[in-house]
Amino acid sequence: MLKRKRFIFAMLAILPTLAIFAYVRLYPIADTLRLSLYQWNILSKNKPFIGLANFRELMGDHLFLDALINTTIIAFGVLALTIPMALVIAALIFHRTRSRMAGFYETAVFIPHVVSLVPAAMAWKWIFDARLGPLNALLDFFGIPMQNWLFDPVLSVICIIVLCSWQALGYAVLIYLVGFKNLPVSLYEAAKLDGASGRQSFWHLSIPMLKPITLYVSVVTLVSGFNVYAQAFVLASDAQGAPGRQVRVLVLDMLENSFRNYRVGYAASEAVVLLVIVLVLTLIQFSMLREKGKA
Amino acid sequence: MKNASAKTRISTRALLMSTAFVGTLLSGVASASAETLTVWSGYPEMAPFYEHVAQGMKASHPDLDVKVEAIALREHEKRVALGLTGGGQEGVTVIELSGSTATRYLENDLLPEASDEVSAFVKDEKNFSKFFSDSASYDGAVYGVPLFRGQGSLYYNTEMFAAAGLTAPPKTMEEYSAYAEKLTKRDASGKATVSGWSLRLSGGGQGIAEKFWTNLHQFGGAILVPAGDGKWKPDFANEAGRNALKQYLANIFTTKTVSPEMPADADAFERGQTAMFIRESWVIGDIAKKAPDLKYATAPLPKGSIALPTNLYVAGEDADIGWEFAQAANSPENLVWLLENVGWLPNRSGVDYTSVTGKQPAFAAFVNYPQGYEFFTLPAIGPIEEVLTRVAAQLVIAFGDASMASDDAKIDAFLKKASDEVVAILDREGLAAK
Repeated sequence: MLKRKRFIFAMLAILPTLAIFAYVRLYPIADTLRLSLYQWNILSKNKPFIGLANFRELMGDHLFLDALINTTIIAFGVLALTIPMALVIAALIFHRTRSRMAGFYETAVFIPHVVSLVPAAMAWKWIFDARLGPLNALLDFFGIPMQNWLFDPVLSVICIIVLCSWQALGYAVLIYLVGFKNLPVSLYEAAKLDGASGRQSFWHLSIPMLKPITLYVSVVTLVSGFNVYAQAFVLASDAQGAPGRQVRVLVLDMLENSFRNYRVGYAASEAVVLLVIVLVLTLIQFSMLREKGKA
Repeated sequence: MKNASAKTRISTRALLMSTAFVGTLLSGVASASAETLTVWSGYPEMAPFYEHVAQGMKASHPDLDVKVEAIALREHEKRVALGLTGGGQEGVTVIELSGSTATRYLENDLLPEASDEVSAFVKDEKNFSKFFSDSASYDGAVYGVPLFRGQGSLYYNTEMFAAAGLTAPPKTMEEYSAYAEKLTKRDASGKATVSGWSLRLSGGGQGIAEKFWTNLHQFGGAILVPAGDGKWKPDFANEAGRNALKQYLANIFTTKTVSPEMPADADAFERGQTAMFIRESWVIGDIAKKAPDLKYATAPLPKGSIALPTNLYVAGEDADIGWEFAQAANSPENLVWLLENVGWLPNRSGVDYTSVTGKQPAFAAFVNYPQGYEFFTLPAIGPIEEVLTRVAAQLVIAFGDASMASDDAKIDAFLKKASDEVVAILDREGLAAK
């Protein structure tokens, strides 16, 4: 009886939070799913049901397909760059925990994550500038041909990957550091007694034991990679003096379809595709890392 | 003693709270008695103009509080789309929109019709030519007050022209290319350091297509042309389109007078990084602020220019003050101020602008154009932004494809593909000519 009362009390206590969560999180998702089946131009009261027509059109829309390919490359590129680098940097910082500079290292790596995106992206835009950028100056110094970083179709995508990774790295390192600090020291001591080198301990102890952390960090990194927008927008912003190639990404395409082309139903179908991709990839990551982690 | 001190604290707190309460009440009463008007603009440089208009209305409306919110055009478009459909904005809002963009909102009854007095003001041909009053109307009824227009002309650096031995601006599109070659400055390796002719080759949005359309117009083509009965068709998969695109490609890949990564547009012109470019009249005001010592002149384009009228619309209850503001913006004194201080061309006729054009000869190309100069404007159809954005996306690909520069068949195939995409959009919206 008491248990039931407690359960009811707990449910009642949690209900307001659940209600807010449902309203601000679940309702927009459900409404986006619904809108994707309608032809709606945001302005009209008339909203005809068109079934899966928006999705059929998406499959033949070269701008959407470009955006999908670019976004996927960026998301996986950021993941591939961020996770190993974060793991190694976190290990190095953890190894130097007792150093007087440990705080400095942690702060230095984390700062890009808290810096406002627009000024940071503007700074990177200068770094990548074909004529005045330090990156090309460096290449030139070593006799390597200078590149049109922000204009070449391939290089401009790489630039976004670099910028996103630079931002994501600090957060990933911080989470990995927490993971490192929670690893049992006795295991490392035992490994040391057995003659394992630092590198071997890292490879055979740290990496397997940090799998839950890797799962969390990789899911967060991949999801934010698929939601890339501002980086692509700022690097190719319409500043008249120095524009760049507009790398088409999914969120940008959605915004354009919603508010410039006034095709909200169509943009909603893009959002649904993005949601499905992110969900599937997250499930794959969970199945790959969680099961092995348990074993 | 303790009690007395506590009492003093309580009474002090009560006094402070009462003061705060009365203060809040009074400020509420004050704000209720003041008239509030918000101006939404898509051109940050227009903010001082609207503030000037508001200042002028102070005498007749001392309590009028005008908030000018001028942001970048693309953000402004999103704001209008969300603001007008979602509602929620308080008071009266004066909204600046181009005639072509406003059509979407007018089709869906999201903007109110102007009062009889405002309609009469707009329809009076002494005030506005039919071109401008039509751009502010829908189905014969007036919904907006014309204000200014975007109209292109050539800007050229006279010192660079003199150094290249050029004494007059180019008069044909062939001359544009020839001049660009002569004007381009190069480093020892032959790489262009100052572009001869700055072309819009990259960035986001429809600007690339609009600029291309201006060049295309000189060759006799258009992105869209009316085909009767409210239908439209593309008109660039033809010789005009080939010539226009070929000229871009020749400048990028053959004569290499310009490249996508070079500084471009007004900023580059003001810094001496390009010798000439085509732009609207606002650049005159911009140069006056940022590069007052720049030696430059303007010239009409070979055949004609875009004329993109921007109007003021009013949303919200009790819109009278909004319409009054829109009309005040069109007073001769304010329009002269607009031309002199901002540089956008006012649309109202019968106003004496000589005090400005006399002082600033660069305006001459915008007002004293040759006989038969042909203007075009963006069609007032719903999907115009989508058409231009998609054409722009295609053009960016072309501008990066060197193999197209000397291959007419490839150019034709490219234009056909882009044209087919435009037809598909028009068809979807029921606007394609059969």
